[in-house]
Amino acid sequence: MDDDVERAARKVRDVEQAVSEHVTRGGPVTGRASSPDGAVTVVATPGGPPQSVEVSAAALRMGPHGLAAEIMRIADRAQRNANTRLHQTLERVVDPRELTAMGIERGTDDDESGWRR
Amino acid sequence: MAAVNEERMQATERLQRDLAALTATVEHPNGTCMVTASPKGEIKALHLHPALLKQGARAVGEVVTETVRLATNAAVQLSFNKMALALGDGMAIDVESIAGDSPFRSTWNPVTPPEAPAEQAPQERRTRAPRVEDPDEDAFFDNPSWLR
Repeated sequence: MDDDVERAARKVRDVEQAVSEHVTRGGPVTGRASSPDGAVTVVATPGGPPQSVEVSAAALRMGPHGLAAEIMRIADRAQRNANTRLHQTLERVVDPRELTAMGIERGTDDDESGWRR
Repeated sequence: MAAVNEERMQATERLQRDLAALTATVEHPNGTCMVTASPKGEIKALHLHPALLKQGARAVGEVVTETVRLATNAAVQLSFNKMALALGDGMAIDVESIAGDSPFRSTWNPVTPPEAPAEQAPQERRTRAPRVEDPDEDAFFDNPSWLR
């Protein structure tokens, strides 16, 4: 069992190093999405909580329920963008099927030019 | 042996299902925002208190960002806890050695509001030496309080 864990840890370290070198060259991967009217902008990280949520002064007029729903909608899009971007970046060093199994799915590029490094 | 393996496989499948559906709900320490999030940072529910909107657009963004982070950390910690319960502490420690420390171990997570500061104790009252009405030398040396 210990050997298995050690082998798994070694494999994770190797992939981590390859990914780390790859990401260092390209910069951190994030996804970005905004409401059409700019009310809410979210910058998301793949597989993690949003890095930032920005709300315009006009968005406050949506009220607590409307604004909460809009933040959830935009955060979801931003995270899908981030996952797609990460998938595209890592599929050169990790098997894409493994990325999908890990929950890093490659979405359709239907959103705005939303993602960025 | 086959029965044990079957049991383990079922337990693993059950654990995977549990982890996939796991969320945590956290209220911001200032009480104006509540978030339910998955361990992957997905926002499953978000409630904003009307008072938060009155604090301005910038405050809304900051409080929501902070609360989602706290809820995600709590969900990740719950995952570690469930895994430790199902597979044993030894396996959870092995997973931590591969995947990194759990939020509980790696960060201080201010999910609960800080305690109100303890009431200040009243200042100790010191008895004053009786004031000498007539500050001539004899009266000063008659007052024993200066010897203390």
